[in-house]
Amino acid sequence: MQPRTPTRFIDPALLAGISHLDLVAKTVVDGFVAGLHRSPDFGFSQEFAEYRAYTPGDDLRHVDWNVFARTERAYLKRYRGETNSQLTLMIDTSASMGYTSHATTKLDYGRYLAVSLAYLANQQRDAAGVIIFDDDVRNYVQPSTRQGQFMRVAHAIEHAQTGTHTNFAKPFIHFQAFLRRRGIVVVISDFYERPEIVIKTVEPLRYRGNDLILFHVLDPQEIRPTLKEPSLLVDMETEDAIEVSPEYAKEEYGAKIDAHIAALRTKANAAGIDYQLLPTDRPLDDAMREYFLIRKGRM
Amino acid sequence: MGFLAPWFLAGAVAIGLPFWIHLLRQYRSTPHPFSSLMFFERRTQSSIKHRRLRYLLLLSLRVALLLLIALAFANPFVSRIGAAAGGRKLLVIAVDNSFSMRYDDHLARAKQAAMNAVSRLNPGERGQVLAIGSRVHFLTQPVQEADQLKAAIQGIQPTDEQSSYGELARALRTIAQTARTPLEVHFASDAQKSSLPPAFADLRLGSDTGLVFHSVADSKEPNWMVESVTAPAKIYDPKKVRVQAVVAGSNTPATKRTVSLALDGKVLESKSVDVPANGRASVEFVSLDSPHGFHKGEIRIEPGDSLHEDDRFDFAIERTDPHPVLFLHPAGQDRDELYYRSALESVAEAGFTLEPLAVEQAANQSLSKYAFVVLSDVGSMPAGLENILRVYVAGGGSLLVALGPLAAALPRVPVSNEAIQGSSYASLSGARFETVTAADAEHPALRRANKLDGVKFYQVIKVDPGQSRVVARLSNQEPLLLEKQVGEGRVIVFTSTFDNVSNDLPLHASFVPFVEETARYLGGQQDRSTNVAVDSYIELRSAKEQGAAIDVIEPDGTHPLSLTDATTAQTFQVTREGFYEIRRSNGRQEMVAVHADRRESDLTPIPQETLDLWKNTGRGPDTPSGDGSAAETQARPWSLWRYALLLVLITAIIESVLASRYLSVEKEVA
Repeated sequence: MQPRTPTRFIDPALLAGISHLDLVAKTVVDGFVAGLHRSPDFGFSQEFAEYRAYTPGDDLRHVDWNVFARTERAYLKRYRGETNSQLTLMIDTSASMGYTSHATTKLDYGRYLAVSLAYLANQQRDAAGVIIFDDDVRNYVQPSTRQGQFMRVAHAIEHAQTGTHTNFAKPFIHFQAFLRRRGIVVVISDFYERPEIVIKTVEPLRYRGNDLILFHVLDPQEIRPTLKEPSLLVDMETEDAIEVSPEYAKEEYGAKIDAHIAALRTKANAAGIDYQLLPTDRPLDDAMREYFLIRKGRM
Repeated sequence: MGFLAPWFLAGAVAIGLPFWIHLLRQYRSTPHPFSSLMFFERRTQSSIKHRRLRYLLLLSLRVALLLLIALAFANPFVSRIGAAAGGRKLLVIAVDNSFSMRYDDHLARAKQAAMNAVSRLNPGERGQVLAIGSRVHFLTQPVQEADQLKAAIQGIQPTDEQSSYGELARALRTIAQTARTPLEVHFASDAQKSSLPPAFADLRLGSDTGLVFHSVADSKEPNWMVESVTAPAKIYDPKKVRVQAVVAGSNTPATKRTVSLALDGKVLESKSVDVPANGRASVEFVSLDSPHGFHKGEIRIEPGDSLHEDDRFDFAIERTDPHPVLFLHPAGQDRDELYYRSALESVAEAGFTLEPLAVEQAANQSLSKYAFVVLSDVGSMPAGLENILRVYVAGGGSLLVALGPLAAALPRVPVSNEAIQGSSYASLSGARFETVTAADAEHPALRRANKLDGVKFYQVIKVDPGQSRVVARLSNQEPLLLEKQVGEGRVIVFTSTFDNVSNDLPLHASFVPFVEETARYLGGQQDRSTNVAVDSYIELRSAKEQGAAIDVIEPDGTHPLSLTDATTAQTFQVTREGFYEIRRSNGRQEMVAVHADRRESDLTPIPQETLDLWKNTGRGPDTPSGDGSAAETQARPWSLWRYALLLVLITAIIESVLASRYLSVEKEVA
């Protein structure tokens, strides 16, 4: 169990008051990292990591010829820098992500999360990129470790605006074209789609050796809505209207959303995909921890 | 099916209220944006529909509630042949056993008619026997056994009550409402005209009541009676007693009758009198020699007739000594005593004797034996006399204070203690005299004094009424007669004198009644009659006698009062002729003579058309008259408002339960 400090529990509502996303990311990540024990597995360096037996197909440039001279066996010398990953952030900006029942919209929350992860990746010397999509790809910043990459990613995230409705299938076809290199793919969305379609859509990314994390961002009112009287609810994406009674919202809707979340988690796990539910009133540390676990596994 | 009050159906428009509440007000929703309606599919609208359905159930209940209320007020009914068609009826047999049924064999004939009516009782039907006097006596419950009904009829005895057909009609209406079956009423009576109530509406019968009248009297039956007797309740001087009797005839020819006065069964005097046809004659007896004590007097006529019970008239009389009255006056002044004595002793029936005494000699006088005390223009009193008078009055005695020129010097009226403000002379105020302008004519002292009309008052003593009640005022607004309760007794203050100087009252005709009634009032003799009619109430106790045991002995020697009644009953109703004895707790004994109401002696029958009219009050206009079986085919409205009201109650309960359940869900969510 990692020790926790109060700085890790930064309220998303507080982050909403910070105008620049890079500052948000710094605030979140610095506070988060400061609370961790020092670990040899974290941090960037070009120092030796391990030897690995040569197998046909390996690049001969990495063979340690000194060892071969002494032992007549070919070993590859590996460095930590070679374990760097590529982080691709996929942010859903459909209209439903603009919903909020308090200070922070789901999109804002997703922004904070994405930029924090990007900042963290940048600190790790990981290549970070971002894809903004709703029913199509709206913006794309290719993952890279170049100087200024974080600012480009942050800029793209900051300018993400809510669009129309979500369509997973169409943008994900493009994603597969973008994601040529194996890495970590983070999908931030409210996943208002049938779980099997969501998994079926994102599953091909997993086949390419990517580690896939689904961050399911929901407003507390979406999980446990409280209505005082029969209300006319208007869909933010389709603008359909349905009148809902308080007892239905409390009982049947609650059961449906719970079943949806459970199904999404079950199917994701079955497909080897990490899933994390993030209510927008919770601090971002769960998301950060999830990323670190994945990142650790890849080294 | 119909409505007895259809205008109340207009109240059904009130059902618009729940419609407005449910359909217009309840479902007014404001739109709220929501991220996705993915989980609010079309099926979710069924939730609202389900909710609406539940509200529709509530709406239906509320609408039904209002409709039922309007329906209940509209008083729906169905025409029902009902029980009558099934032959179920209640046979009511009523027999008149009032005083007049003692005439000849009237009661026997009535009972025979009633016995014949019992034979109309069909198997499975019930019958009930009533006896009709001034009240209705229920001799049986509704029973199916004819033998029980016949036994009850055989047991009917004549009474001394006056028959009341109004009471019978009221009892029949009550029975009809209770039994909820048609009534077949057989009423055997002598059909006296005097039995009818003042208003014919009081004879109204229930809609399902068939009346069969069995008249047992002939059209014109002669009857002589002693109609009334006027005799004093107390005798103080037997030689001055006058007993007057009135002998009357009903449907009678002119005849001669012998009228006798008897005392304790012994005939003292007889006189012959000519009684005109259908008329009356009076007889007077001028002496009634009797020893001290109570005596049973009787006036009887001979020869008797078929109703011999009204050929005699009882009266109670008591021989006693006159009550002394103490008259205190200043020494040397005897004019007021002269006038007052003359007035008081001129009425022998009053039973008072005046004992004059100079006030200076009354220092140690015992007052307990006096009926009351008169204080006539006393200016000064010996030490202790006023205190003696005050104790006497507080203990229940009475005092009459006359204020004259001497009393004007007193600061206050003796005993009553009201302030004296000086003398008032009519001549000084520009008038020659004052007269009475305001007086309580109902006060016992003025009841027969004609409000002292025409009496001239030249001088009165001005008294501040204080807590006294002003009975009479003069034209200058000064009180003339005041009364005040002091302890258990009372004080009457006359602000003038009886001496024919300050006023001319002694010269007026109203003086004697004024003195007599004042004396009776102060002496406690103005109430309690000793000769009353059957069904009258005798007052048993006054305010002073609360809690004291009083015994009443009926003419046959029985004691009708229970121990509780003997100490608490305020009045007692006499129900039979004869002499009642009343023994009070202080040992005093009284005798009251009770006679039947002489309206029972008038056997003039009710016209046949009146009887027919009475019978028809119990039937619809299309029902044939005649025997009581006509009621069996009569259709009558059966009111349903009670059932509608029951449904209102049930609906209201269900509505309350449902409404509270729905509301509780909303509160939980909120």
